[in-house]
Amino acid sequence: MSQAPVYILNKNAKREQGKKAQGANIKAARAVSDIVRTTLGPKSMLKMLLDPMGGIVLTNDGNAILREIDVQHPAAKSMIELARAQDEEVGDGTTSVIILAGEVLSAVESFLEKDIHPTVIVNAYFRALEEIVNITNKIGISIDLEKDDDITKIVKSTIGTKFASKWGSLIVDLAVKAVRTVYRKDKAGNVEIDVKRYAKIEKIPGGVLEDCEVLNGVMFNKDVTHPNMRRVIKNPRVVLLDCPLEYKKGESMTNMEFTKEEDFRKALEMEETEVMRMCEHILRVKPDIVITEKGVSDVAQHFLLKKGNVSCIRRLRKTDNNRVSRVTGATVVNRPEELQESDVGTDCGLFEVKKLGDDYFSFMTECKNPSACSILLRGASKDVLNEIERNLHDAMGVARNVLNNPKLVPGGGALEMELACRLNEMSLKVEGVHQWPYKALASALEVIPRTLAQNCGGDVVRMLTELRSKHSASDGSGFMWGINGNSAKIENMETQNIWDPCSVKLQTYKTAIESACMLLRIDDIVSGIQ
Amino acid sequence: MSQVSIFGQREQGQDVRTQNILAVVALSNIVKTSLGPQGLDKMLVDDIGDVTITNDGATILKQLEVTHPAAKVLVELSQIQDREVGDGTTSVVILAAELLKRGNELIKNNIHATSVMAGYRLALKESVKFISSSLSVKTDSLGREALINAAKTSMSSKILNAESDFFAELAVKAMQNVKTVNYQGQAKYPVRAIHILKTHGMSSKESTLVDGYAIQATRSAQGMPTSMTGAKIACVDFNLNKYRLAMGIQVLVQDPEALDKIRQAEMDVCKQRCQKIIASGANVVLCSRGIDDFALKYFVEAGVIAIRRVPKSDLKRIANNTGAKIVVSLADIDGEESYEPECLGTCERVYEKRVGDWEYLFFEGMSQTRAQTIILRGANDFFLDEVERSLHDSLCVIKRVLESNSVVAGGGSVEVALSVYLDDFARTLGSREQLAVAEFSEALQIIPKVLAMNAAKDATELLAKLRVYHNAAQKSDTSDEKKQALKYSGLELTHGKVRNNLTHGVIEPAMSKVKSMKFATEAAITILRIDDMIRLAAPQQQ
Repeated sequence: MSQAPVYILNKNAKREQGKKAQGANIKAARAVSDIVRTTLGPKSMLKMLLDPMGGIVLTNDGNAILREIDVQHPAAKSMIELARAQDEEVGDGTTSVIILAGEVLSAVESFLEKDIHPTVIVNAYFRALEEIVNITNKIGISIDLEKDDDITKIVKSTIGTKFASKWGSLIVDLAVKAVRTVYRKDKAGNVEIDVKRYAKIEKIPGGVLEDCEVLNGVMFNKDVTHPNMRRVIKNPRVVLLDCPLEYKKGESMTNMEFTKEEDFRKALEMEETEVMRMCEHILRVKPDIVITEKGVSDVAQHFLLKKGNVSCIRRLRKTDNNRVSRVTGATVVNRPEELQESDVGTDCGLFEVKKLGDDYFSFMTECKNPSACSILLRGASKDVLNEIERNLHDAMGVARNVLNNPKLVPGGGALEMELACRLNEMSLKVEGVHQWPYKALASALEVIPRTLAQNCGGDVVRMLTELRSKHSASDGSGFMWGINGNSAKIENMETQNIWDPCSVKLQTYKTAIESACMLLRIDDIVSGIQ
Repeated sequence: MSQVSIFGQREQGQDVRTQNILAVVALSNIVKTSLGPQGLDKMLVDDIGDVTITNDGATILKQLEVTHPAAKVLVELSQIQDREVGDGTTSVVILAAELLKRGNELIKNNIHATSVMAGYRLALKESVKFISSSLSVKTDSLGREALINAAKTSMSSKILNAESDFFAELAVKAMQNVKTVNYQGQAKYPVRAIHILKTHGMSSKESTLVDGYAIQATRSAQGMPTSMTGAKIACVDFNLNKYRLAMGIQVLVQDPEALDKIRQAEMDVCKQRCQKIIASGANVVLCSRGIDDFALKYFVEAGVIAIRRVPKSDLKRIANNTGAKIVVSLADIDGEESYEPECLGTCERVYEKRVGDWEYLFFEGMSQTRAQTIILRGANDFFLDEVERSLHDSLCVIKRVLESNSVVAGGGSVEVALSVYLDDFARTLGSREQLAVAEFSEALQIIPKVLAMNAAKDATELLAKLRVYHNAAQKSDTSDEKKQALKYSGLELTHGKVRNNLTHGVIEPAMSKVKSMKFATEAAITILRIDDMIRLAAPQQQ
C-alpha cells in the first residue's frame, strides 16, 4: 500500500510540540526581557533605536523600546503586548513588568525538566499571586492627598529613574501641577482625571529646559489671521466657533446657470453679504477674540477687524478648542446667529501671541480656575524633548494613580524583597508539589532588586544577601529596606523617600504572572507564516 | 477495454478509506493534548502573524487551515458542536476519530461498511436511551450548586482553572439574570443577552459583571452630561447631518436669493429633526450614523447625551432591551415629520465610565430584559480572547443545564458506564452488528484514556478500576444504594484516583453529552461511507 503522503495541514505550516514549544516560549520571553533589563533603575542606560522610517528614538521607557522592535516569535509578541497593557492602564512600570514576566517564566524551566505538569505550576502561581496582592495591600501606606509634598515625593521617586531626573524636581512639579489642574470631582464623588484630553504637552525645540512650565491656561500653535489684529489682549471676551466664517455651499448638489450678467454679480454679492451677516451676529456679543475650527475668509477678517477690532484665529483643532472652552468658560457655537451672551468666555486673563523659536504661538493664560492646561516643554533637540515627553507622561500616570488610589509602597526593590521573604515562609505551608513553583515565584521576585543592584554597579551578591537578611528579620521591621540605586547602598526607603504607587506595583505583578501562566500552558505552536 | 478518463486523480476502495482515516486520526492527535483539566493550550500563528492562544477544540481546528477533505469534515463537526452545544468541541473530534479507526479495522476484516454503520447507529440509540434512563440526574435535586459545578467543570480545562470559583459565580449570576419566559411559558436563557467586553489591564480577578448593557463609545461632545438617571433613549438610524438631496436630484432656481434659502433650509431641516427628538422627551440619543457638529450643540444645550456611530448591532440590542424602536425616518403617515414618544426606550441609568484606557457607556436597569455585561480584565489581548472563549463555553453549559435540567457525572464517567453497558448489550445481538457495537463500546473509552494520559497517569490501571466500579453498579440490585452510587464514578486527575464525580461536583449537562455522541457518530458514518475519491485537477490557465 504505497501512496503519496497525506497532507492534512497546509504544507507551509510549521509545528513545534511539547517540551520544545515550552522551551521556545521561555527562551523568547527571556530574550525580550534581556533587551530592557539595563533600563531599570536610576542608573539605567538609554537605548537608541532606529525605526523603519529612519527616525531615531532615544529612550529608557520599556514600552517605547519594545514598541519599536519587530519580533517574529509569537510568545515574544505576547510579551510586548504586556508592556502596552501596563502603559495604558497605569502608565509606569513597563520595564519591571517585562523583566518580572521573563524571570517568572525562566523560573519554571527546571520544573518542566523534572516533569512537573504545567497546570500544577499555573495553579501554584495563581495562589501565590493572591497572596502577593494581600501582602502588598497590607504594606501600602495611605497618604494625604491635600498635601502637595506627599505627591511630589512619590512622583519624584518614579521619575528618579528617568532621563529627566537630572533636572531635579522640574518635571515632577510639572506633572503634579498638570494633574491637579485637570482633577475634577463631580457631585457623586466620582473622580475624573482626564490627562489625555485636557493636559496637552507642547514640545518646542530651542530654549533651555528650565523654561518648561505648566501654563495657567492653554496655548496652541496658531497666529492671528491678519497682521493688524491685536496680539495682546487683557481680559478678552472669547467666542468659540466650529463653523467656517466664509461662504459655504450647501450639501445638495447645486448648479448655477446664469442667463443675465446681473445675476452673476448678484450671486457674488450674496456670498459676500452672507459672510457679513455672520460677522454681524458675532459682533453683536462684542468679542475680543474669535476662534474657529474651520476657515475664515479674507472678507470676514477684514470686517471683524474694522468693525469690532477683533482678533481672529482659524483652523484650530477640535481637541484644542475643547481645552480653550474649558479654560475660558466659553461654549463652542456652530451657528453665529445663535450666539448668546452666555456662550462668551470671560475667564481668561491674558491673551497674547508670542514667537517661540521659528513659530508663532497663541497663549491664553492667567485664567480663573482652569480645568485644562498646556504643558510647555523646551529643550535642546527634538529627541531630548520626545524623551522628556515620555517621562512626563509616566509621571502624570503616576500622579493620576496616586490621586485615584492614594497608597504608597516602598520602592527600590524593597517591596519585592519583602514579598519574596514572606512567600518563602508561606511556601512551607503549601502541601504537595505546588510548593516548589510557589517557592520559585518567591525567588523570581528578587529579580527586581537584583537587576537594580546590577545596573547601579554594586556588589550584587553582597547587597542581595544583606537585603534578604534585613527583610527576613522575624519582627518584620525591615520591610522598608531597599536598594538606593544612586549610592549603590542598602538604605531605608522611608528615610530616603523612595516610593512607588501601590496600584502600579499591583498591576505589574498581576500582568506579569497572568501572562506567564498563559504562556506556560502552551504545548503546541502551529504557525502558518510563509 | 477503454477506460473513462477524468482530468484528475481517482482513488478507490480501501486505499481511500485508509487515507481518510489517517488524516482524521492525525487531526485528532493534534487536539488530543488539550482535553481535560490537565490539558494544555495551543499557540496558533496565522499567515499574517496574528497569534491565537487557545484550548478550545473548535478554535484550534478553525485556525489550522486543514486541507484534507476528510479532515475538513471533522473541522466542521467541531464547529457544529460549538454552535449547538458550545462545549465539548475537543472530545467530539477525538471520539469521531476513534470510531473511524475502529470501523476501518472491521472493514479490513471484510465486514461490509453498511453493517458497521448499522451497528454504530444501534449502539448510539442504546447509549442515548441508557443516559436518559439511568445516568442522568435531575438538577432540581442539586440546586444552584449544580450550575456552579457545571460551569467549573467546563472551565477546569481552560486557563480559568485557577480562578474557576470566581468566574463560575460570575457566569451563573449573569445567566440567571437574563432569564426570560417565552410565550409558551418556557424559561429561556439567551447566551446572546450576555455581552462580553474585553479591556486589557488589571488582572482577571478584577473582571466585573454589570447589570445592564455597555458599549464602547464616548459622548459626542464634551459638554454633555456624563450620567443620566431615568433615561429615555431614542435610537435613531439616519443621519443627523445637514440635509442633502439624494444623488441626481437637481434644483433649478430662478432667483439667486433662493440659493441661500436652500442652504438655510438644509440646516433647518436637521435642526428641526434634533428638536423634535428632544421635544419627545429623549435624553439619550443613540445614532448609528453621523451627527453633525452643529447639531450636537442643540443636544448639549438640552442636556442630552448624544452618541454617534453606534454600531448597528449594539443599537439593535439596546433597542430590544430598553423597549425602544429604531427609527429609520421621521416621516409619519401625514407626510409630516414627527418623533413619537412611544419610540423611546427607558432605562434606569445611563452613565459614562472609564475602564482602563477606554470610555464605556453603561445602560443600567433596562426596562425590557435584563441584559448583562461582563467586563473582562487581564494581562493582554491574547489572554482576554482566550478567557472570552472559555467563558462563552461555560455560559453555554449553564444554559444547557438550566434548560434541560439534567446533568451527568463528568471525568469519563458516562463513557465508561456506556462502554460497560454496550459490551453486555452486544452479547445479546445475534447479528453482524454485534462486532460494530462492541467496537463502539471500545471506542468510547478513548475519552477517559486521553484524560488520564494528559495528566500523565496510568491510563490502563485507572480504566480497569473504573470499569469494575461501573460493572458493579450495573449488575447490582436497584435497592443497593451503595453500589448504585458507583455509577457516578469518574476520574480524579490531580491524584489519579477514581471517585464519585457527582458528589465532587464534576458534572456536565446530559444534553451536551448526548449531542456530542450523536454528532461524532454521524461524522464517522459520513466518512466511512466514502469508498471513492475523485479530485479534479484545476483547469489549466490559458
